[in-house]
Formats: sequence, C-alpha cells, structure tokens
Amino acid sequence: MEVNWLIILDFIPQLLKGAQVTVHITVVGLLGGVILGAIAGLMRAYGNAVINAIAFVYIEVIRGTPIVVQVMFLYFALPVLASIRIDPMTTAILAIVINAGAYIAEIVRGAVLSISKGLTEAGLAIGLPRWKVIVHIVGPLAFRRLIPPLGNQFIVSLKDTSLFIVIGVGELTRTGQEIMAANFRAVEIWTAVAIMYLIMTGVLSLALRMIEKRMRIL
Amino acid sequence: MSDTIIQFRNVSKHFGPLKVLDEVDLEIHKGEVVVLVGPSGSGKSTLLRCINGLEQITGGDLIVNGMSVLGGNKIMREIRQEAGMVFQQFNLFPQMTALQNVAFGPQQVRGLSRSEARALAKELLAKVGLAEKANHEPAELSGGQQQRVAIARALAIKPKVMLFDEPTSALDPELKQEVLNVMRNLAAEGMTMVVVTHEMGFAKQVGTRLIFMEHGKIAVDGTPRDVIDNPPNDRMKDFLQHV
Repeated sequence: MEVNWLIILDFIPQLLKGAQVTVHITVVGLLGGVILGAIAGLMRAYGNAVINAIAFVYIEVIRGTPIVVQVMFLYFALPVLASIRIDPMTTAILAIVINAGAYIAEIVRGAVLSISKGLTEAGLAIGLPRWKVIVHIVGPLAFRRLIPPLGNQFIVSLKDTSLFIVIGVGELTRTGQEIMAANFRAVEIWTAVAIMYLIMTGVLSLALRMIEKRMRIL
Repeated sequence: MSDTIIQFRNVSKHFGPLKVLDEVDLEIHKGEVVVLVGPSGSGKSTLLRCINGLEQITGGDLIVNGMSVLGGNKIMREIRQEAGMVFQQFNLFPQMTALQNVAFGPQQVRGLSRSEARALAKELLAKVGLAEKANHEPAELSGGQQQRVAIARALAIKPKVMLFDEPTSALDPELKQEVLNVMRNLAAEGMTMVVVTHEMGFAKQVGTRLIFMEHGKIAVDGTPRDVIDNPPNDRMKDFLQHV
C-alpha cells in the first residue's frame, strides 16, 4: 500500500473528537490531581506521624505500581470488591487524579521543604500562627519552585491518557486504533496521532514557560 | 522582683539523649542588655531560642513577660509578640520589599491597617538608616542592610525584649559596625536585649551583664568589664583569648 498523506484529511474530524476526549480527561484529572497532590504533599511536609504515614502509603503504592494496573484495578477489581461500578470515562479521570496526585504530592513536598527553615522561624518569631506562615511566606515561595516539575507531570499525565485504550475510552489513541483497524493506514494515522499529541504537549509546554517567565523563581 | 521580664526556672533542654541546657536558673530584668557568650555547643543559642519557643524546653519552666512558654500555642504567639528576634542569617522574606518585610508583622499580628503598618515601617526603616531602601528587595541589599531591615522588622511588632542570635556572625567586618551601631542605639533607648555574640567590644561597651555558658550551664555571670578584664576561671580566660 502506498503512503497517501492526503487520506489523513478525511479522518481529522474523528481524530479531533478523540483529542477532545484526551483534553477533557487531562484537564479534569489534573485539576483533581493538583488538589489531591497538594493535600497529600502538605500532609507529608507538615503532618504528624499518623497523617504523614497515610500520605506516605498512598504515594508509595501509586508510584510503585504501573498506571495500567491502577486503571484495571479501578475498572475491573473495584466492582468485585466494593460493588462500585464506574463508567470508563469516570474511571479514566479518576485514574489520572489518583496517579498524578501521588507524583504531585512529592513535587509539593519537595518545593515546601526546599524553602529555608529560617524563613518559617522568622514568620513564627513575629507571632504568626503556623498556617499564616504557610499561606503568606512558604506558600508563595514554594509555588514558584513548583512550576517546572509540575509542568513535567502535566505532560506525563496527558500522554498517560493514551493507556485508557485498555478500558475502551474513546480518546485520541483509541480513535487512531479504530481508524487503523478499518483501513490499515498505519503510517498516515499514527503520524497524525503523534502530531496531535505533539501539538497538545507543545501548547502545554509553551503555556508553562510563559508562566515561568512571568514569575521570577526566587 | 517586679521588673523581671524573663525568668528561667530550672530549665532543661534535651535533643534526644543530648542535654543542651542543664537546669538553668536565670532572671533577666527590664532594661538589661545581657550578652551571652560561650564556646559553640555550650547552649547559648538554644537558651535564646527557648525564650520565644523556637525550641521547646523539656524541663522546668520559663516565664516571659508573665506568661509561661508551656501555656500552649496562643500564649506562645503572645510571647513571640513581646520578644522580637533577629537571626544570624537575617531571614528576610525574599518575595517582599524591605518595607513590606517590616510592615507585614504589625499588619498580620497587631491588627494595624495597611497604611498604618506602612507608616510605621517607614519610620522604623528611617531609624535603622534605610529610609531610601524601602522599596528594594532583600536580594538588592548588602548583608548589613538586610540585618538592619531584620531589626526593623522585629521592632515593628513593638516587642518588650529583643533577642539577637549572632546578628553579626554572617557579616564582613566592615558591615558589622553598622549593625552594632543600630543595636547600640536601641540599648541607649532602654530596650531590654539578650544578645548571643562574639563581639567582645560590643559586650564591654553596651552590655550591662555578661553570661558565659559552658556545657549547658551558666558558668559565669557578671558585669562585662569585670568578667572580660578579670576572667574568673581558666576556661573563660582561654575562651576570651580565642574570640
């Protein structure tokens, strides 16, 4: 079969729909992941032994197992264990939340702990309660250090959505797979799919670089 | 005594098995300038940091301005508002200008309005000779200037005592003087001060009392002139020859 690039044009609307699903899972999943990660990271950085241990176990379990296994567990094992049945789309989003959350927790913990202890002491020494020290002093400084590794995690999570092919979510990779199965245009379709991922990660990188530039890293 | 502002009652501090403060009894009165000296590891910084609860005492009791450091978080915050602290490493908030560093405390803990806090901050920056640096960030200031801003920041919460933890140890010799001058002026105004330092000249000139610490205990307690000119023991004599 000869390579015919023009054939891609016929499938662009279909691929765009897949890309849309990818973006949807990524955006909602990362929103939840950032919240969960911030909570778990702060638990690790500031919690007492018990709180710290809870966050530690969560992070280690998630980081220590492949995301595909996590997805399979959520989709196939959870209904058996707890008779909770969730649809593929929700499973996909939940998987990103839980998976990205663990990595983001470590990013948050690292950023918080990288801020000099002396600054916390200086805040406490003027009579601020600890939460105000975190909100007004450590937080804003840690946030700046958060951006580069957070951007990295965003890109990883976006690409991880391609794994949801295993539970039949109609994201970009799955869409490509379906088209390919019908016409066997492997070169054209996988090229198109790759380029679409590159555009999405490219936009994400660019946005993060702009945020980084606007904020001086202290 | 009624003018006692800090009272150590049999205070001990352990770091694990290590005893850093060993049943210390000490009374500091209003208007005193107490200079704490001693070899490293003798417990002088720890003693200072126990006063505002940056280190928690593990034995005895410690009363600051009538409040016990064992009184819980809320009391501790009140004690901290009465005991301003200046650190060796300045610890200015890097994301804030000099003015914001000084205005932050009064606004957050003393309930001053933004404009009141800024006015107070300007006044205090002028007092430490840095009125024209108000809008500079810490990174744009010399070490001596940063430390003077840090003193203004501590003064801004209107403390009754000022605690200095080796305030000039991180500074070049020529920058030390500008910080020591500010401290000298503060002492002249009658501020109660507890100063951990190796500056014997300052101790002699400004200090009203000199405490030499060794192995977590107060080994010598006297007037700076007496103690420095006639060290009461060999260990102190030896120490003075090396600072």
